[in-house]
Amino acid sequence: MKFDLRQNALNIVIWVLLITMPAWMNAIGGYTQLGTQVVIMGLAAMALNFLLGHTGVLSFGHAAYFGLGAYGVGMTIRYLDASTPLGLLVGVLAGAVAAALIGPLIVRRRGVYFAMVTIAFGQVFYFIAVRWNTVTGGDDGLTNWHRQNIDLGLFKINIMDSAIHFYYFALVIFALAVGLMASILHSPFGRTLIAIRENERRTRFIGINVNFHIWMSWLVSCTFMALAGALFALQNNFVDPHSLYWTQSGIFVIMCVLGGMRSFWGPLVGAAIYVVLQDYLSSLVSDYWQFFIGLVFVAVVLFFPRGVMGMLRRRAVE
Amino acid sequence: MTTDGNSWNPTRRRLLQAGAVLGTAQLASPFVQLARAADVVRIGMDNPLTGTYAALGKNEQTGAQMAVDQINAKGGILGRKVELLIEDSTSGDAGVAVQKARKLIDRDQVNFIIGNVNSALAQAIANVANEKRVFHVVPGGHTDSVTGKNCHWSTFRVCNTTQTEANAVASALVKKAGKKWYYLTPDYAFGHTLQAGLEAAGKKLGVTKVGGALTPLGTTDFSSYLIKAQAANPDVIIFLQAGDDAVNALKQAVQFGLNKRFHLAGAQQELEVLEGLPPEARVGTWVFEWYWNQPNVPHVADFVAETRKRTGGHVPTARHYFGHTAIWTCALAAQKANSLDAVKMARAMQGFELPPEIALMPDGAFYRAGQNQMIGDLYVGHAQSKGASDPEDLFVVDQVVDGKKVSPTLAETMCHQDWPKA
Repeated sequence: MKFDLRQNALNIVIWVLLITMPAWMNAIGGYTQLGTQVVIMGLAAMALNFLLGHTGVLSFGHAAYFGLGAYGVGMTIRYLDASTPLGLLVGVLAGAVAAALIGPLIVRRRGVYFAMVTIAFGQVFYFIAVRWNTVTGGDDGLTNWHRQNIDLGLFKINIMDSAIHFYYFALVIFALAVGLMASILHSPFGRTLIAIRENERRTRFIGINVNFHIWMSWLVSCTFMALAGALFALQNNFVDPHSLYWTQSGIFVIMCVLGGMRSFWGPLVGAAIYVVLQDYLSSLVSDYWQFFIGLVFVAVVLFFPRGVMGMLRRRAVE
Repeated sequence: MTTDGNSWNPTRRRLLQAGAVLGTAQLASPFVQLARAADVVRIGMDNPLTGTYAALGKNEQTGAQMAVDQINAKGGILGRKVELLIEDSTSGDAGVAVQKARKLIDRDQVNFIIGNVNSALAQAIANVANEKRVFHVVPGGHTDSVTGKNCHWSTFRVCNTTQTEANAVASALVKKAGKKWYYLTPDYAFGHTLQAGLEAAGKKLGVTKVGGALTPLGTTDFSSYLIKAQAANPDVIIFLQAGDDAVNALKQAVQFGLNKRFHLAGAQQELEVLEGLPPEARVGTWVFEWYWNQPNVPHVADFVAETRKRTGGHVPTARHYFGHTAIWTCALAAQKANSLDAVKMARAMQGFELPPEIALMPDGAFYRAGQNQMIGDLYVGHAQSKGASDPEDLFVVDQVVDGKKVSPTLAETMCHQDWPKA
């Protein structure tokens, strides 16, 4: 396959920006953790978009799997074994198992009914986290644990104290996850998902088991979501039930819409806009920052219904 | 225009685009931080400005800003000007509070961090501050663990522990109302520990608990809880809500006519809540942590007068007092240690007695060594619908309780501080 520079220009720009982030972030007034936040929220939004943008199914309960990943890693390090990789693994598995079990119960629903059932299941996990005080710390969140350094034998990654080490740790995981997601989307399975998005009835008539494919897409999406949640918990050294709450699911949907649901990188751009805007506005106008975020969202929906990336692409075509 | 073929030919659209870019650049200028002078001491305030605790958080901020101005007028901290940086922690999202704490510490390099009204958020910020070795003051988050089980050498607290408040009010309640109590408790750390504190204090006085309900933070409709409380037929219905939750709960209780049949009471009460209530709902026995109407205590009148200038004539509440004291704690710590090193400052504050113009209490106030908890006076009394001398005099202090007598002992707090080896 020939490498086409023009086709890959966007990929190259995004990776160069991500890899060099610590070098320029401070110069423009940001800080390394802000970059980490963008990468992690970007992964979460891209995971949601796997289902929302590429399969055409709207979920409003993805925060549940984000939170399961977060609680998975936090509780593993707190109660089982102080090991970051084990915690990540448990977090991702917790999200994946929950999604695999809940999936068959909801894949027969479509549209707003699907969205509502996902909210309902998501809230179940929220209330478990709030009520089960002795284990989860209840509304106060899970504290008294800390991400641990990773010993690779040859060298140690000092993610405990160095913000830059943790950024690259998150970025490597992000790269692996995004690469995997892209290859799934380019496989026949991924093409089938897009066919479902474009015309579900026709896909069914071809003889494809649509519900099974939606379940698989849901599972992939929730698994990556749990991975993002686990990274989020590691970044904060803290989990609280808010990360499971349905409004958090809404924030992920907003990120996808801001960036553009039809584009692979759109949700990352949307997450970057949301995270940076929130960080910036809440320092500038600390009382009314939510109002301005809402305003930006309304403006994007009205004027660029396909999101920022959709708008850029249309420009390029013109 | 030059006659050169490659000349730059601005079209109208280009110009508009350039204008838009320039305009955006103007907006971005605060984000692109100018190099800050090194001769400034920065205090970061990570407190709720939106949500159910917004009013309390803003009052703490007003008190804090007043203290900053006073300190700057007196020459600053160690001769350096003080700058207060404000971040909205939201009222209940600890993830945001933690993120903001890291932003203040990592990006803005604050020397001190202040926060939070919400106990859960206060604990979360305390953990970050301890990890980063930053001097932290909690102005008004009450749960015991902040200076108890999860205490840190780096975290100081101005407001009382929930157990202290419960001890202060329990005997007054038994005397006034009776021994069968029903609890309406907000479902998070502050509520849980306050209820546990009241139960422990009540047990010593022979109180029985006839029931209780947990209400989620931000509840607006308390009717189902009030019906349950009524059915239990208690002597006292104890309201442990704070902020807007307390306003809603009490308003509805009075609408239901519960105040005619039961004694409505609680532990902690705030002037903000009483002001938010309709006059007929200003009822019950409560404990205030600070009250503005203390005619016999020196310096209080000055503090009230200075606050009135900043609030459009309103009197200071306990929240103004907390914010003010929190900032002065930072300044006094730096002064006593003659350093901005967090460990040295924290050591200097062990057992530190606040000067009377900061303490503003009849028996004074000090930070207890080994726990970093401020211990001052508490004001037990009852709410009144209308003030006689001042419309904001909505509370009658029946008894000033010395915090030293009602605070749990250091051993009871289970606080163990891990000091860094210097």
